[in-house]
Amino acid sequence: MSRAQTVVSRRRFLVATAVAAAWPRYGAAQPKATISYWNGLTGADGKVMDEMIDRFTKDTGIRIEQQRIPWPELYAKLQVSVPAGEGPDLALIHTVEVPHFASDGVLEAIDEAMVGGKGFRAEDYLPATWQGGTFQGKRYSLPLDVPQHVLYLNVKVMKEAGLVAADGKPRVPSGRDELISMAKAMTRGESFGFAIGTMNPGRYTWGFHNLLWQNGTNIYAPDLKRATVAEPAALEVAEFFAALPTQHKVAPPANANCRDAFIAGRLGMWIAGSWNFTGLREAKVDFVAAPVPRLFKQPVVWSMPHQYSFPKVKTADRARREAAWSHVRWMTDHVADWTLKAGQVSASRKAHGDPRITGDPVLKTLLAQAPNWQVGQGTPKWVAAENVTRPVIESIYTGQKPAKAAMEDLARQINALPD
Amino acid sequence: MGSGRHRRRQASTAYLFLAPGLLLFAVFRVYPLLEGLQLSFTNARLGRASFQYVGLANYARLLEDSRFHVSLVNTALYTVASTLPILAVPLALALALNRGRLRTLLRSVFFFPFTLSVVTVGLAWLWLLDPVVGPFNYYLKSLGVPVRSWLADPQTAMAAIIVTTVWWVTGYYLVIYLAGLQDIPRDLYEAAALDGAGGWRAFWSITLPLLRPVMLFVVVTHVIGSFQLFGQVFVLTLGGPGDATRTVVQHLYEAAFQNFFQFGAASAMAWVLFAIILVFSVLQFRLLRGHTEY
Repeated sequence: MSRAQTVVSRRRFLVATAVAAAWPRYGAAQPKATISYWNGLTGADGKVMDEMIDRFTKDTGIRIEQQRIPWPELYAKLQVSVPAGEGPDLALIHTVEVPHFASDGVLEAIDEAMVGGKGFRAEDYLPATWQGGTFQGKRYSLPLDVPQHVLYLNVKVMKEAGLVAADGKPRVPSGRDELISMAKAMTRGESFGFAIGTMNPGRYTWGFHNLLWQNGTNIYAPDLKRATVAEPAALEVAEFFAALPTQHKVAPPANANCRDAFIAGRLGMWIAGSWNFTGLREAKVDFVAAPVPRLFKQPVVWSMPHQYSFPKVKTADRARREAAWSHVRWMTDHVADWTLKAGQVSASRKAHGDPRITGDPVLKTLLAQAPNWQVGQGTPKWVAAENVTRPVIESIYTGQKPAKAAMEDLARQINALPD
Repeated sequence: MGSGRHRRRQASTAYLFLAPGLLLFAVFRVYPLLEGLQLSFTNARLGRASFQYVGLANYARLLEDSRFHVSLVNTALYTVASTLPILAVPLALALALNRGRLRTLLRSVFFFPFTLSVVTVGLAWLWLLDPVVGPFNYYLKSLGVPVRSWLADPQTAMAAIIVTTVWWVTGYYLVIYLAGLQDIPRDLYEAAALDGAGGWRAFWSITLPLLRPVMLFVVVTHVIGSFQLFGQVFVLTLGGPGDATRTVVQHLYEAAFQNFFQFGAASAMAWVLFAIILVFSVLQFRLLRGHTEY
């Protein structure tokens, strides 16, 4: 061995020692990394997320600084903070937010190969949820769970109206006519037979979208270039929506709190979000969950998967990014616990066979709706279109405007939205 | 010469003391105002790095924006309809609470709602006025009064917002009126009593004229606040039913933070609103200004 070789070896030794000294620090830093995580889980699911995060920290050593902000404020904050370099490492967002955040450069594109390398595979997810994480062919998010609509039946109210089957269970309406006749049987005074929506049924765009989708139409034409809300299929939906409180008089007024009405036994049938059912159980309401009835052409169920996204950062920090991925991985692996406690069925199929989930009648109903799930259209204009829809459908619901004129006005507004 | 130097030194000292406040005012008030003015001539959108100057296009678009027109009308309606109760209710309470045993306790009771945030007030009234489970309708019904959906009815939604606002801010204006009442010299009332003036006469001839500066303050601050109405509407009606309670600030908020973060368009709305408030404030000062020294 020559002297030169010895010197080189010594250098190598020193370099190797330095790397070895640095490596444990990096290795040790990873489990101890602290990441910021923003979400809008302000309901009972927020407490469940707290528990899950505590468990995650115990398992991995990674700490999470969580900011829980109501969804609308969360989205405004992301739009402001991320360009300023003040965004979080991880954000939970709704599927329909992905296109506009991706288009505005708020979210980091995720390499599909890396997604696969981390063990996330398309075949493990339900297609609507997996596809919802992409925009213009690129992936920006990974689905966690699937908030969706379901039909809640108030057993006490329905029994009093004689709307129970031979087995004592509430009857489930099979179509529009039956729904209206059953709702009429339950409506008297300040008690109502049917509602769609939670806090303000008159403004409940998600319910209106569900009806549009059931009638085979949508906000935009398939090319996403023009609004279709003034076309006959949408008008039919708008007229039905208007008739509920005005002509049939079976639905509560526009600003009624339907959740409270249901709990108070003043609402018989209620199409609302799956996120309500754990609260109904806590309130000890005697209810049954049934699939959203087919009121138009197809039994579509509105859904809005939550998606994990990685907002752009000014300076990449590998350790923090890996820690954020670790959390997504951990939550995906423990999603059955999340489903059982938070009441949201998972986007990943892996947990769907868990006997604890299939044994729960509500979760079982939610899972059975999976083939009918539909999400909003993948355009950056979707959320803005949703915002302008709210007052228009309320003007229909309250009888302020005829459905046709209102929907024509809505089409004009949607078509005028800036690019 | 000496007195001139002294005056200059005094002025310098005054400016030195004013400097921190002026600096904050310039940085946090004047600069954003001017920045907003500049933005109003652009198509700036939050989150997009580049923008173009579009001249007066944002202002021109407001001329065609029917929802902006509706929001202007609603804002004006609210301002006009709410001003009288905001002037009268706290004044009546202030007169009642100016004397009496329980006045300190009652002042606190009336002031309490003002310590609540607008969201708390809004949520409380939202529940009170709920058409199905709300107690307001429940008690009206038990009294045989026909009930309605107050916040979902275009005929009553704005009135409900005004009632909520009056309930919320009465305590604040009450304190201001009480301060004004206590500033009125007692000897004026004693002289009027000696001249045979009764309570009403003293009120019309002494109290009301001498409260004019306080009333000016109440009207000007309320009108400015009314043009900026947002919180109550946002919580109670979201501008509905339809657009029946949509206000300018709500329209602006939606353009800026909900519909594509159109900061250029929203800034133009803000400047139009600023101009309106400025005109009304100047008009009020001119109309209500008078000799108030005593």
